[in-house]
Amino acid sequence: MTEPTAVTSPGVVPPAAGESANSTSQSGFRAMWEVWTNRVFTMREDRFFLFLAVLIGILSGLAVVCFRIAIEWTQIELLGSSLSPTFPRVVLAPTLAGIAVALLVIYAFPRARGSGVNQTKSAVYVSNGYIPFNTVVGKFITCALAIGSGQSLGPEDPSLQMGAGIASLIGRRLRLSQEKVRLIAPVGAAAGLAAAFNAPISAVLFVLEEVIGTWSAGVLGAIVLAAISSVVTMRAFLGPESMFRVPPFRVAKPADLLAYVALGIVGGLASLVFLKWLAYARPRMQSLPRWTQRFQPAAAGLLIGIIGIRLPQVMGAGYPIIDQAMHGQFTWKLLLVLAALKILATGISFLSGTPGGMFAPSLFIGAMLGGAVGAIEQHFFPALPGTVGTFALVGMGTFFAGFLRVPITSVFMVIEVSGNYTAILPVMISSLIAYGISRSYVKVPLFDLLARQDGLVLPSVEEQREQMILTVEDAMRLDAALVLDRADTVVDAIKKLEGKEGLLTFLRVRPGEWNFIERSELQRLAADTSRSHTVEETNSKGPLPFVFRDMSLEEALHWAGDWPALPVLSRADLSKLEGVVTLDDILKAFRKVPVR
Amino acid sequence: MSSPANTIVGGKKSPRIYSREAVLLGCMLLLVLFVLFTAAVSRMYHKTIHVLADNWFDQGEASFRAGDVKSALTDYRNAMVYSPGNAKFQFHLAQALAAAGRGDEGRSYLLNLLSESPGSGEVNLALARIAAHKVLTADALRYYHGAIYGEWDSDPIAMRWQVRRELAEYLLDHGLQQQAVPEIIALADSTPANDPEQLRVVGNLLLKAKLWTRALDVFRTLLSANAGDEDALLGAATSAFNLGRYSAALDYFDKLPETDRNSPGVAGMYKTTQQINEMNPFLPDLSREAKARKAATALSVATSRLQQCATQARQSLTATPSQTQLQKAFAGSKELAADGRWQNIAKHPDTVDEVMGHAFEMENASAASCGEPEGADRALWLLGRSRGAAAQ
Repeated sequence: MTEPTAVTSPGVVPPAAGESANSTSQSGFRAMWEVWTNRVFTMREDRFFLFLAVLIGILSGLAVVCFRIAIEWTQIELLGSSLSPTFPRVVLAPTLAGIAVALLVIYAFPRARGSGVNQTKSAVYVSNGYIPFNTVVGKFITCALAIGSGQSLGPEDPSLQMGAGIASLIGRRLRLSQEKVRLIAPVGAAAGLAAAFNAPISAVLFVLEEVIGTWSAGVLGAIVLAAISSVVTMRAFLGPESMFRVPPFRVAKPADLLAYVALGIVGGLASLVFLKWLAYARPRMQSLPRWTQRFQPAAAGLLIGIIGIRLPQVMGAGYPIIDQAMHGQFTWKLLLVLAALKILATGISFLSGTPGGMFAPSLFIGAMLGGAVGAIEQHFFPALPGTVGTFALVGMGTFFAGFLRVPITSVFMVIEVSGNYTAILPVMISSLIAYGISRSYVKVPLFDLLARQDGLVLPSVEEQREQMILTVEDAMRLDAALVLDRADTVVDAIKKLEGKEGLLTFLRVRPGEWNFIERSELQRLAADTSRSHTVEETNSKGPLPFVFRDMSLEEALHWAGDWPALPVLSRADLSKLEGVVTLDDILKAFRKVPVR
Repeated sequence: MSSPANTIVGGKKSPRIYSREAVLLGCMLLLVLFVLFTAAVSRMYHKTIHVLADNWFDQGEASFRAGDVKSALTDYRNAMVYSPGNAKFQFHLAQALAAAGRGDEGRSYLLNLLSESPGSGEVNLALARIAAHKVLTADALRYYHGAIYGEWDSDPIAMRWQVRRELAEYLLDHGLQQQAVPEIIALADSTPANDPEQLRVVGNLLLKAKLWTRALDVFRTLLSANAGDEDALLGAATSAFNLGRYSAALDYFDKLPETDRNSPGVAGMYKTTQQINEMNPFLPDLSREAKARKAATALSVATSRLQQCATQARQSLTATPSQTQLQKAFAGSKELAADGRWQNIAKHPDTVDEVMGHAFEMENASAASCGEPEGADRALWLLGRSRGAAAQ
């Protein structure tokens, strides 16, 4: 592996000898600055990248703090400070704000449309990490206005995009290499999401699962660092409290976990309904005449306002309502109604093209469904451990896993947003069930589906996960080789090869050093009957690169073209041949695997 | 450091290109400015939401005090939107929920608070009240004890006393006498002798728990401070009566105003006490003749009750040999009959005990066969029991 090249700065001139001795305070500062910049810019590129990750984390954290405050203030100004806004406000605020949002999106910030996750992903894969700063500003203003006015959307996905936009700007301004600019956007995305959720682990996992799509060690450190620094920044201004407060509980018996199986099934089915509806309605909404786009957010706002007259709980991100549900403040009937109406309201908001995220609404829906299932189960089985709040908490993760198809993120998210580790087993069970149900009936995950509807083919993590990784074992042949040692005679070797046409001949020189002997070469020496020849005297080809049976076939492919065959050796004993693999064998194995 | 430059490419102005140092310096400056800006904004924001939270909370308090629990709930919830982790808001919301008969909903907030501060006396008490309301005795006991041994912000001794009193009352109201006794004793031990109000409460709880001796002590303490304390007189009279100290009981009853003596719960007890004292030949300072008359009357009353009871129980008192308790008691009285006249007893004053012993035996036998007696028989029966208890 080559040592990464140092980043050198063309602008830095080392101070001349003796210059500092008679310097003024200004030149002293200049000298300090130059020494510092010299240190920073002569860092190895990977260390400089980590330094930038911290910087991006802090900036993203600050942006998210301002964003959350902007949403709250907008809400207070437009809807009032009560959880139940008065009649004229509840309808007028989302409608009028909808018109403003539509005009801003159409005329000023066209890239601010959508949730922000796919836009970030497409920036990574399509535009080499380029996210115009205008998008960050647009996302901030339009989302604050939309969510603050009561549109049923959340602030997390926009925060993710804002973080990515800030990172992209810094990367471009610092003229990082194209690869680094492409990688720096997810770093910012993790920072933005972590600050919005107050959940660094979930943010890191989500970005790895959904935005980058691989567990790239090269960028993992930077992502973790950015997420941590953004959360620390956010907590410095908004406090360290976790989002929800649920009393700890204990699962006494394994049978108690069955209660969460039912929740998994309900969550999976509900996520299916939501996914199917979005998949069906979005292309139809997009096919409406272009002029209608100016009114779609307003129409969505009006519909949500009408729902809000009776049930204002469905408006906005809904975190206070989730908290109430977790404290058993609603009957199971009301919880079911709220879940259904939130699906409707979120669908309307999202389909209208109003900028805003899907995370908070999906948590809301999950919490309501979980609470309802918990209340019903506890009605029939009063001895069940946990409260309605516990079920609401688990329900959040369940619906999140089914709807967004990020099961690992959902498990950690539940722990982080509640600070409650006791829910981990129930969440794992119900999330996996919901995820399984969702995957069985909707083949493409939500964000991939949306991207495809927009004409983008972005890499799908789920599909990558499903890809079969072929190993040498899948291609190697077991009894296709004859192993000869140096002292073996050619005549004996010829005898062993008689009648075995396909057998390949290997010479074991020493452990880990193997050569290949052509059959014709053996025959050539055998023809010389003047004396007995050993196989060592043959013109064998080698030393051959060897492989192990668990190595990926792609790795074997690197060498297979240059040699007639590769020995497959035992990891425990390099003098032991376990099989043999040729280029043909590898290609045959690849052909057997069904193509996506 | 390189200076910024504008370059013209193909007639189009390209973006300015700055050196990395300049960009980094710009980022640092931006970071500092952004931090200052965010600090200012968040300060304003926190101020605004604190004001909003406090306003909603105050409204909630006002509504709650006015008895409008529904409005109070809405106001407390609004307050919690702006300060979701505020323990005070959660506690008041929980209390309002409990007051609205939605204890289960309030319980969730309280459990939350308890997980954050398990030693909170207030939270434990609120949870105990919810559990007590639902008659979940195990939970109620746990939380009441949590409150008794928990932390209190102000006047912890008084709060702990109040909580223990509440627990004792809960246990007595639900017939859990055995569990109530240690709580009441602990309450009595922790009650200062100079607090008549608390002593009165403890005395009444001791009466309810039938801890007569301790109750009498408490009421005596009260009477030593205020001899005319009617509650204390009544408590002392009741305790003395139940302890079989009928002379003392009569003294306390006699000191009560007549209206109190004739009140429904007291009149019967007073009358019985009077009868006991009238029939009691063991009172000090009685003449030989008076003792003999009382003993003879007692024997006659008891014999009469025995005969009535035998008739009621369809038993022949003359059957030999005596088998039942009634028959045995009657046989004993017959042996005395010749000497049962007051003149004979007066001649032999040492027979008073024997005569009264037979009288008590007959009353006990009658009570066992025919139920607790009334009137003079009851007085005699109670006297016998108190003598028996004293002898033991």
